[in-house]
Amino acid sequence: MIHYHFDWSAVLSGAPLHWIVSGLWVTFNLTIWSGVLATLLALLLLGMRLSAYRGLRWISACYVTLFRNTPLAVQLLFWYFGGLQCLPGSWRDWLNTSHQLGGVHFPSTEVLVGVWALTLFSAAFLSEEMRAGVRAVSNGQFDAAHSQGFSHWQSLRWIVLPQALRYAWQPLIGQYLSLMKNSPLTMSIAVTELLYQTNQIESFNLHAIEAYAVATLLYLLLGLLLSLALQQLGKGMFVSGDLHVK
Amino acid sequence: MLSKLFYYPVIVDNLSYLLFGRLAQGQPGGLLLTVLMALAAIAMAMVLGFILALAHWFSPRGIQRVLWLLGEIVRGIPQLLLIFWFYFLLPMLLGRGAPDAVSVIVALGLFNAVTVMVSVLAGLNALPGGQHEAAQANGLNRWQTLRWVLLPQVLDHIVPSMVNLLVALIKDTSLAFVVSVPELTMVSTQVNNREQIYPLEIFLFAGALYFVLCSLLSLGAGRLERRLNRRLGLR
Repeated sequence: MIHYHFDWSAVLSGAPLHWIVSGLWVTFNLTIWSGVLATLLALLLLGMRLSAYRGLRWISACYVTLFRNTPLAVQLLFWYFGGLQCLPGSWRDWLNTSHQLGGVHFPSTEVLVGVWALTLFSAAFLSEEMRAGVRAVSNGQFDAAHSQGFSHWQSLRWIVLPQALRYAWQPLIGQYLSLMKNSPLTMSIAVTELLYQTNQIESFNLHAIEAYAVATLLYLLLGLLLSLALQQLGKGMFVSGDLHVK
Repeated sequence: MLSKLFYYPVIVDNLSYLLFGRLAQGQPGGLLLTVLMALAAIAMAMVLGFILALAHWFSPRGIQRVLWLLGEIVRGIPQLLLIFWFYFLLPMLLGRGAPDAVSVIVALGLFNAVTVMVSVLAGLNALPGGQHEAAQANGLNRWQTLRWVLLPQVLDHIVPSMVNLLVALIKDTSLAFVVSVPELTMVSTQVNNREQIYPLEIFLFAGALYFVLCSLLSLGAGRLERRLNRRLGLR
């Protein structure tokens, strides 16, 4: 400890700085893409859970239990080693060669598997928070909507869901932050996100403390910005006092 | 027939390694190490969490703010980053290498200690004010009030959530595979690297072990909670 020489330029200049910036960009993208996709999947799971068909309810409940009671690490390895193996050979070859898509690099196989695993894992947690929100909406709201001639789906979509999402918004923000904080696990399948790049600096010039300090600050900052953005989004979606989804 | 769909011999051949690691050589691993690490981490989380909560309870506002800020930092960064912090810091602080499993236990223990601190404080604040006043009126000092009146009530409410914490910890110990601690996830990747062609079987089996362990504990937690609530006359 005594012999450690702090040198912030070992982290904040040259190649290490470049790695950190690119890692931050990958982390940001992992979070946004998985977040959006997981939200869509969570809504689908919620719809199935609230449907009139027992089979759909059962599938949704099993999905949630299964994905919540196994570690993300195992899920990630399962998809990376097992899932890819199940794809037809020609698909794997296509994924493993680089492609251009409208001038942008098509994401690597590792990034795709990372987004896939994060999405499936997070959707289970998001849909449970949403369901808790639906339970907080009084049954009278459903009945009232029915009596006004709304169908089951219409009352869910226009009456119950907007209120449920408003009740569940704070816990949902927590889940999105968890998603961001879970994303470094993808470094284990060589996704070059922020923590992966931080480790690379450590093995490059051994300045572990500075590198981890910078990563810590960046993750805190990213979390703060994400939570502020989601609070703002919530304010936009749920006009204060009134229940209204744009 | 079944072995075509799910090649179970690969599990049978590696079963004792997946469950116990190299226990015979004196190095517990696999599922056993997963459970041991989770138990060690929850013990640390409980003890440290209560100490932090007490420190918070008896501290002036300034120190309370500092504790709160530290908690926010620990819970605001990825657990994996916390593991790497201890992975590199512990040997520097101790002046010698520490077993990798220890840095993971310390990181997970610290992360969850903050959770315990927050729930103990929330429990204390949720108690009706009359409890505090009645104890003081009976001549108990601040520490006695906390020790004999407030904490026992908080403890009753916290025990079921501690089982949930243990479930979360069992899953979170899997992060240790990133620093090559031979717990269940790590030994699964080792078996997968050796066998090469049965990743589905191996990771499904590992997932199933976690699933059964976590589901049983969750079920137990639900029962415990109902029993405690009945005893407390809540439901």
